[in-house]
Amino acid sequence: MRADVAAMAEDGEEGISIRVRIFTMRSEEEVNRAIERYADTVRRLCMIHLKNYADAEDIFQTVFLKYVLSSISFESEEHERAWMIRVTINACKDLLKSFYRSRTVSLDELVDWPAEAPADHREVLEAVLSLPQKNRVVVYLHYYEGYTAPEIGRLLRKNTNTVYTLLTRSRQMLKKKLEGFEDE
Amino acid sequence: MNDKLKEAFGEIRAEEQLKESTRRFLAQKTGDVRKYRGWGYKRLIPVVASMAILVAGWGGYQVYFKPVSVISIDVNPSLELGVNRFDRVVSVKGFNEDGRKLADSVNVKYAEYTDALEEILSSDSVRRCLRRDEVVAIDVVGDDESACGRMLTNIEHCTSGHRNTYCGSSNIEDVEAAHELGLSYGKYRAYLELRELDPDVMPEDIQGMTMREIRDLIERLSGDDSEEIPEDDFQGDDSGEIPEDDSGEIPEDDSQGMNQGGCRGGHHGWGHHGWE
Repeated sequence: MRADVAAMAEDGEEGISIRVRIFTMRSEEEVNRAIERYADTVRRLCMIHLKNYADAEDIFQTVFLKYVLSSISFESEEHERAWMIRVTINACKDLLKSFYRSRTVSLDELVDWPAEAPADHREVLEAVLSLPQKNRVVVYLHYYEGYTAPEIGRLLRKNTNTVYTLLTRSRQMLKKKLEGFEDE
Repeated sequence: MNDKLKEAFGEIRAEEQLKESTRRFLAQKTGDVRKYRGWGYKRLIPVVASMAILVAGWGGYQVYFKPVSVISIDVNPSLELGVNRFDRVVSVKGFNEDGRKLADSVNVKYAEYTDALEEILSSDSVRRCLRRDEVVAIDVVGDDESACGRMLTNIEHCTSGHRNTYCGSSNIEDVEAAHELGLSYGKYRAYLELRELDPDVMPEDIQGMTMREIRDLIERLSGDDSEEIPEDDFQGDDSGEIPEDDSGEIPEDDSQGMNQGGCRGGHHGWGHHGWE
């Protein structure tokens, strides 16, 4: 459907090799599968970064449209998931940086996302959302998605030690907010 | 606590409404892309069609206006008709002053070659020549032997009412050689014949001569006093064998340019409609 040429540079063992390939727009079936598989992940990242449903809707549209038009051939499900997370975080950051967003406050921002969560989880979520944004992402990626500090570093383009530091501080803050918080 | 965090995050799920609105949005966007792409494709149709027409037109032009065979007519006026694959005359070229005058006086371009030939043979200048008992040499030249043979037959048919008309055919290389010497093919063939008898003869010497004068010269140099050659010698034998006695009129040697075709019965070499 959509013919184009993409040049992908990848680091090989013997240097950099350039691959040029023809790609097509992803099929409806592929897109539906991606929505079913990654919608929850995108939603959680929206919750971590944003505070209202309308923004989440924008992010969903941006992320999945990028997916539809993306030329990347994913090597594995993990590769695809990492790409989704990366694109979602960038889209959220872009939205937060936008001129309109930086100078206005939506009425929807008053909505408290964890409000709809069961009572026993609401406290935990509120504690996480009370952390600084960069800590929230690291906590989510580590405790829910199961990424290690080096993996989070590569995903967020951050130094591994920085990730360790963020995780340590986040744990300390969560301990203060949530009694009995023990890092296992 | 890890489990609590995991369970708490696990509670956050994308609403079906959110998924559905995303699907609708994507369907609309990809539909737009398809529509745009379709429009782009459709926009190309007239361009491609125009190009196809241009190419076809150019190809057609090339096919129509490219002569595939040449009819050389020599009396004294010497001219050549370029004939395309549709048997139409696409070029008329005079090879001497009389030939150029004749080419200008007749309107034979795009006519069928048989009609063109009729018009030329009926023209005042050619008729005047024929009244003076001049000789008309008509040669069909082309690479397609069968097409030339067919043309030759048609030409023989349409010249059958004209006296002193000789017909022959040859290949395109001979015509090129003739043109290099500034001669039409009919005169070139006569020149080759004459050179066999007089090696000193030059193309310029015969350029202004009528075919009758050339043929008379050939006869004189060959020492053959016979005025006529019985038609039977040309036509009676389908094998195409020409008696050596007739060499004054009909050289057997292909190198002299009479290597293909014939006026009657597919003979190779010269044929004529008699010295009537």
